Amino acid sequence: MTTHFITAEIDLCESTGEIQSAISNTLDNHGVPLRWAITQVDLQGRTATVEAVVTQPGRLPDAQESQG
Amino acid sequence: MGAQVCRPYTVVLIVPTGIGAAVGGYAGDALPTARAIAAVADRLITHPNVLNGAQLYWPMANALYVEGYGLDQFATGHWGLRPVRQIRIGLVLDRAINDELKWRHLQAADAARATMGLDIINYVVTDKPLGVTLRTAASGATWGTLDHPTSLLQAAKQAIAAGAEAIAVVANCPDEEDPETLDSYRQGQGVDPLAGAEAVISHLIVREFQIPCAHAPALPPLPLDPAISPKSAAEELGHTFLPCVLAGLSRAPQFIGRSTGQRQLQERLQTGDIWADQVDAVVVPATAFGGSGVMALSQMPAQIIGVADNTTALTVTAEAMGIKAVTVGSYLEALGALVAHKAGISLEAMSPKMQSLTPLKD
Repeated sequence: MTTHFITAEIDLCESTGEIQSAISNTLDNHGVPLRWAITQVDLQGRTATVEAVVTQPGRLPDAQESQG
Repeated sequence: MGAQVCRPYTVVLIVPTGIGAAVGGYAGDALPTARAIAAVADRLITHPNVLNGAQLYWPMANALYVEGYGLDQFATGHWGLRPVRQIRIGLVLDRAINDELKWRHLQAADAARATMGLDIINYVVTDKPLGVTLRTAASGATWGTLDHPTSLLQAAKQAIAAGAEAIAVVANCPDEEDPETLDSYRQGQGVDPLAGAEAVISHLIVREFQIPCAHAPALPPLPLDPAISPKSAAEELGHTFLPCVLAGLSRAPQFIGRSTGQRQLQERLQTGDIWADQVDAVVVPATAFGGSGVMALSQMPAQIIGVADNTTALTVTAEAMGIKAVTVGSYLEALGALVAHKAGISLEAMSPKMQSLTPLKD
């Protein structure tokens, strides 16, 4: 297993449920979400910045395991 | 209205860690707020960042100590909370901790057994150094990653196999912190550089094993600084931050629900179990509405209260997120809002002026 910090941009949907789904779909492309938060909102552009730490499965050699 | 005909008034207090919250961003400095809310609420659900003050803590019979990942799962309705009288704690130590600090932490755990009567089983040392790496994101929030997360999970698994029902982790944290960041934190300013990494450690164990977990960093004592802020002073008292973690975990509620498998339906019927749809109010900093917990709870029937003067490094307001919330100036005002809400009194009726009723528009 490895841990990764990622930043992603999502469209700001109409409902909170849709925003959560958009975050989930985006983070799923990077791994299994461990912790995330919307940390910035661009109301004019209707986008939000998500910062997250995800995990990816598998045991890589030690030298590659740290992804920061 | 008599209390006996109402369900327990349940408040969730969230102060996200690692975002520089003016109240709750330092060393247990949201604990007075939690104590005050616990005096108003029948049940308070909150998390280690609020309740942990290194060697200081304040046991509250009606407060539930719920780690952040578990709180997020509770908020979505996936997990419920089952209060307990006492649970057995397993202690996991990072192999990277030096001998002196290791002994200091083991003595803290022994002291918690002897002095507080906590049930703590023999400890496990991880097979590799965990390799905690700290990171400050563009937003100003702090995050962290581990070089060897599998070693952490293996150690926790060993403790659970030996009977642990909750896990306290002590990880070696990098001592090459930026001196300016550290000084700022000690003076009650800026963002806790360790907070994001601490959350990742405990989230990993809670996600994997669905049991309570909390983290205490292993740090060498810092040189005396007479200018320490009272908000950060709890972390200057000794060699370890472990006592609050052990005290909190010792009565942390069990997680129940989907991830506990076949027992779900039977467990849901137990008296005293708490689910997200039983939450009456949620109190959160007014600029921290982008967290998964508050977003999920905002879709429940609960009253959401944003606190303006608990400023953070973020600017994610309820309005920006399209979340219906009441914004109050301070936690003192939030307490008033909670009292009124608990009593079934409209907040509008407490204002000096009220609009007259008008016909609904088509």
